[in-house]
Amino acid sequence: MIRKTLFAAAALAAMAGSAFAASAWTGGDDLPTNPLACDGTAGAAAAKPYDGGEPTGAPDRKAKKITVVDVPKLIGIGYFNATSKGIADAAKELGNVDAKTDGPTQANIDQQITFIDNYITSGVDGILFAANDPVAIAPVLKKALSKGINVVGYDANSQPDARQWFVNQAEFNGIAKAMVDNLAKEIGEEGAFAIVTSTFTTPNQARWIAEMAAYAEKCHPKMKWLETVEAQEDNVLSFNQATTLINKYGDELKGIFGMTSVATPASAEAVTQANKCGTIAVVGLATPNAMKPYVEKDCVKSVVLWNPVDLGYAAMQVLRAVADGDLKPGATSVKAGKLGELQVINGSEILLGAPFVFSKENIGQFDF
Amino acid sequence: MSDIAIPIRRPSTFARLFEAYGQEIVVLAAIVVLFAIVGMVNPRFLSDTNLTSIFSGNAYIAVAAIGMAMVIISGHIDVSVGSLIGVLATIAGTLAVSGYPIWVAWLVPVLVGIAINTCLGALIAYMRIPSIVATLGMLSILKGGLISATGGTWITGMPPGFFIAQARLFGIPSPVYFMVVLTILVALWMRYSATGRSIYAVGGNGEAARASGLNPERTCVLVFALHGFFAGIAALLFATQLQVIQSTVPPNLELTVITAAVIGGVSILGGTGTVIGSTLAAILFACIGSALIFLNVSAYWLRAVLGLLILATVLADMARRRRSFSP
Amino acid sequence: MSAAWKSLLLRHETILGGLLVITLIVLAFQSDRFFTADNLLNQGRLMAEVGLVALAMTFVIVTGGIDLSVGSILGLVAILLGVFWQKLGLPLPLAMVLGIVVGGVAGLVNGLIITRFGVPPLIATLATLALYRGLAEGISQARSVRGYPDWFFMLGQGEFLGVPVQLWIFGLCAIIAAVILGLSTFGRATYAIGSNAVAARFSGLSVDRSLLLIYTASGLIAGLAAVIFVSRVSTTRSDMGTGLELDVITAVVLGGTSIFGGRGTIIGTLLGLGLMQALKNGLALAGVKGDGTIVVIGAVLIGTILISNIFRKDADG
Repeated sequence: MIRKTLFAAAALAAMAGSAFAASAWTGGDDLPTNPLACDGTAGAAAAKPYDGGEPTGAPDRKAKKITVVDVPKLIGIGYFNATSKGIADAAKELGNVDAKTDGPTQANIDQQITFIDNYITSGVDGILFAANDPVAIAPVLKKALSKGINVVGYDANSQPDARQWFVNQAEFNGIAKAMVDNLAKEIGEEGAFAIVTSTFTTPNQARWIAEMAAYAEKCHPKMKWLETVEAQEDNVLSFNQATTLINKYGDELKGIFGMTSVATPASAEAVTQANKCGTIAVVGLATPNAMKPYVEKDCVKSVVLWNPVDLGYAAMQVLRAVADGDLKPGATSVKAGKLGELQVINGSEILLGAPFVFSKENIGQFDF
Repeated sequence: MSDIAIPIRRPSTFARLFEAYGQEIVVLAAIVVLFAIVGMVNPRFLSDTNLTSIFSGNAYIAVAAIGMAMVIISGHIDVSVGSLIGVLATIAGTLAVSGYPIWVAWLVPVLVGIAINTCLGALIAYMRIPSIVATLGMLSILKGGLISATGGTWITGMPPGFFIAQARLFGIPSPVYFMVVLTILVALWMRYSATGRSIYAVGGNGEAARASGLNPERTCVLVFALHGFFAGIAALLFATQLQVIQSTVPPNLELTVITAAVIGGVSILGGTGTVIGSTLAAILFACIGSALIFLNVSAYWLRAVLGLLILATVLADMARRRRSFSP
Repeated sequence: MSAAWKSLLLRHETILGGLLVITLIVLAFQSDRFFTADNLLNQGRLMAEVGLVALAMTFVIVTGGIDLSVGSILGLVAILLGVFWQKLGLPLPLAMVLGIVVGGVAGLVNGLIITRFGVPPLIATLATLALYRGLAEGISQARSVRGYPDWFFMLGQGEFLGVPVQLWIFGLCAIIAAVILGLSTFGRATYAIGSNAVAARFSGLSVDRSLLLIYTASGLIAGLAAVIFVSRVSTTRSDMGTGLELDVITAVVLGGTSIFGGRGTIIGTLLGLGLMQALKNGLALAGVKGDGTIVVIGAVLIGTILISNIFRKDADG
């Protein structure tokens, strides 16, 4: 029996070794990539007509008190706590909005749909969402529109016609450029790097990685992409995966990209505990509070992120503007409270701004 | 009838050892083979830094699996352990950042773990609620309660002395000591003490155990209380590994812990198995997780490979049992 | 009161039915939007997949077994439906049938592992839970399949005589399941296996064949639920159905099916499902957040079984 088991294990291992030639990335969503120019000239965005949806039979909500529910991908992670805070801040500032955040405890499409469906029945005036899947969420959002509810997305988009507006934190290719440029600056043009992401099916992360691959190929062709590993939205798993990458590649590994607000601090921790601060660079998307210890110890030089509190704030402001009838299809900009005028891009998206790079100099000013 | 005359061969020492510890040996062999193969492909797999991270990074699973093994040996199951660990880790972190002495932040979660699971054990033993039902309910209560209470905020800024899992002695991280020492102590206790052996008796056949003067209800409560203790220790190792505590329930942790206990040779029917097996199985999982990255197995197939491996181990175990039961 | 009346009153199903009525009344007072035909039918739509799988799970648990792999089978079938249709270019109806057949095969494999090798169901399906989900992830390579033709959405988003299509399917399956479990020889064999498999074997029942049939049916139904699910959300992803098994088992156990086997009814399962869905929906409408609802469902699960146990002890004594 031992022999059989050993044989089976050996066969399995051999199969595993031979069958899967290591390719760094086979995921993605088959959408075309659009890498920015290497020197930072802005890509020319073709003007597009409004392609969002319209609620049917929405009552006049101008300056009236409205109830709004925010259904993020999942609750209980730092990032969505921050957007939720932004939403609450904006609601308080506006004074005529009753907003609350509710959602699934895991990034699960089915549960998210059920949550939204229940809130449609309960009769809210507006829905804010960050989609776990752009297509799966579409039917329930269209149902909301058909009941006269104002629907605005943020962070993760749905199909355009299933919502009215989408607040885009930063364009995918912009994030990709910021990430790759910052890592190239730290590890040089010929360094090798690996990526720690949540899951290969998470739409935003898949997009970013695809754009990063396209941009790196175009502007930093000698950088070597070693591998991408999955670590869910799980701290300890992210730490273990990053540690294994460090152990596996030894001195060859010069940099790690963290693709989520969970993976980046965990990767930084892995580098710290392996005493590789300064020899392995970590660049990633993360919230400042979780990164402060590593940035202050000089272990991490740059953290890329938009401000998620601002993102939530902008989403709430946009929803109010839509409900008031101030933001109509065809508009080219919208006033978003303390954030000022925000630009409309891609027909029905509102751009929060360029991605922000946190560094040792400015990270102390942020608390989220 | 000549075959009557054939003398009965005494089984060799190895055969007897294999009969008693078959599954543990299979798991150990799997670990050795894995080390050999992956080590050949990439020698860095066997570097001391990688070995330390394999062992220490997953020790909390092994520690939780000790308690789970006891629960399963006594004929029960607990699907709420992942949520419990999440809750206890949050308690530890919250106490540490609120300025309580560090020993309080270490002790309270363990006590709370014991308290919660003692109640759970009493519910199961005296109220006759099947353990899978009681713990399924507890899973929901703990998971929902944790998010209600914390709003899912992360805990950061614990004092430096809090991080017990990052401490090292003779170059070896402390979680490894916890794992090894607890496993050996419990294995000895379950084999040689009267109370320890009663767990097997109750799990094997509760009514027979009662007839022979044991108290299955009391044993059940005791087992769950101990399970709560191990969950508390696991939560500490879990909470102090990184600078940040995610105050949500780690996804699928209960499945990993149950699988480790079961693969380790603890029969789900109760009454057999050892905690050595469960610890070895937890180590095996950690090795596989690391090995897949070293072997460049596409992560898309990771779970399929893990599933196949679990199935292979279970089938091997069943085949072995059949052979040893047949005359 | 006669003993027969007393035992009927103290049946788990009766207690649960009472609890369900009270819950409905309380929730209806909490929100005037709860007790509307629109909302109730919509809730039926949302619970159809869990409900379908719960029907087969009732059989499985009555035999004293369990099937943890249903959520993974759902994910695998969803992915294969997309792959068969888009990658292999099969006609969609054929892809749907093939997908459901694969679900049946996955269930059959569970059954074979359990009956041929004597692996306890909990372990066997724990292993295939990982295996089937892994296959779904491996085959999909993280890509979603979208763009199904409009007629396909009829199944998950359409209505027939004002009632969601999947609710008709669910109703039909529920009646069939109730008849088989409650009135047929096969149903009696299912109870016999759960009460005492050895005795059932000695009394001439082909235990293995029955178990194989039940686990295959569980896979088939999970496959059917997958097709409905894909039609409802109009896309396929490899993480579909994650955690479905816990919802299903909660509903079945809440419905009074004994996890030790030998006891349980389809009516009970339907009541359990109804109570669970009513709580989820009603509490949300009453302004309770999702995490609070999870706590309530956990407490209700333990509480119901506790009350039922106490009453049964009375009835026995």
